[in-house]
Amino acid sequence: MTDVAQLTSSLRRGTLEFCVLAMVEREDIYGTEIVRRLGEERSLATTEGTIYPLLSRLRRVGWLDSKWSESPTGPPRRYYSLTDGGRAALSNFRTEWTSFRQTVDRLVGTGGA
Amino acid sequence: MSINKVDVAGEYLREVELRLSGLPVLQRHELLADLSAHIETAREQGAYSDGEMVEVLQRLGSPEAIAAAAYEEAGPRLVMAPPEPPPIRAPAPAPRNNNIWAWVIAAAVGFFVLFLIGVASLMFFSQVAEAPVPAVQQIDRPPVQEPAPDQPVPARPDGE
Repeated sequence: MTDVAQLTSSLRRGTLEFCVLAMVEREDIYGTEIVRRLGEERSLATTEGTIYPLLSRLRRVGWLDSKWSESPTGPPRRYYSLTDGGRAALSNFRTEWTSFRQTVDRLVGTGGA
Repeated sequence: MSINKVDVAGEYLREVELRLSGLPVLQRHELLADLSAHIETAREQGAYSDGEMVEVLQRLGSPEAIAAAAYEEAGPRLVMAPPEPPPIRAPAPAPRNNNIWAWVIAAAVGFFVLFLIGVASLMFFSQVAEAPVPAVQQIDRPPVQEPAPDQPVPARPDGE
């Protein structure tokens, strides 16, 4: 693994799940669509198939709910929605992340000020 | 061509399944159902050709990468029980579709071997450090002689 890939992987760990939670904050989205949207974000460098185990964990800890639904055109789709617990976790992350980011920006000199 | 397309995805799913044997049954089936739905959706939305399906599978990632993520997300308790090594049964006359995964699998196996070597050497050196008195000497030495007290001299591991 290159240094860049290692860094990206480290940064992704612990933040990607909140990107997922935010994605389904306002609308229910089916799994394949979540995976595709994250896969299109080049800087996240996610391997699509590794998102499904993440979705599974978020469901098991009660942050996401899921239900299979028939699709008019294709195979059944599994739609994910944010639970109250997930909403609280996302809100908490936003607070923590803002403060975390500001500190890192200040220490690393990326704040632009 | 249609048959070929089914084979690529089916073979891929089998490769993933082989690596998930350490997961709880429901999690294993859940992941396989998710991946199947993903593949079906891609097929429905235009991945008609063999090559297009291979691209879909490449974006999904190697079976090793998916299995690694599955074990990681399954929690520390399951990570402690190492995933069973993928059974190398049915060498199967490899069709040309296997070329894509060949080097990926080779790389994964390589990393795994390096990991094993690392663990083995760690265990070896920690054993040497904990037990400076070689067991062989204690056993072979006749009881008449006074058994040597704890000697600080370690067992002189070869090629230290």
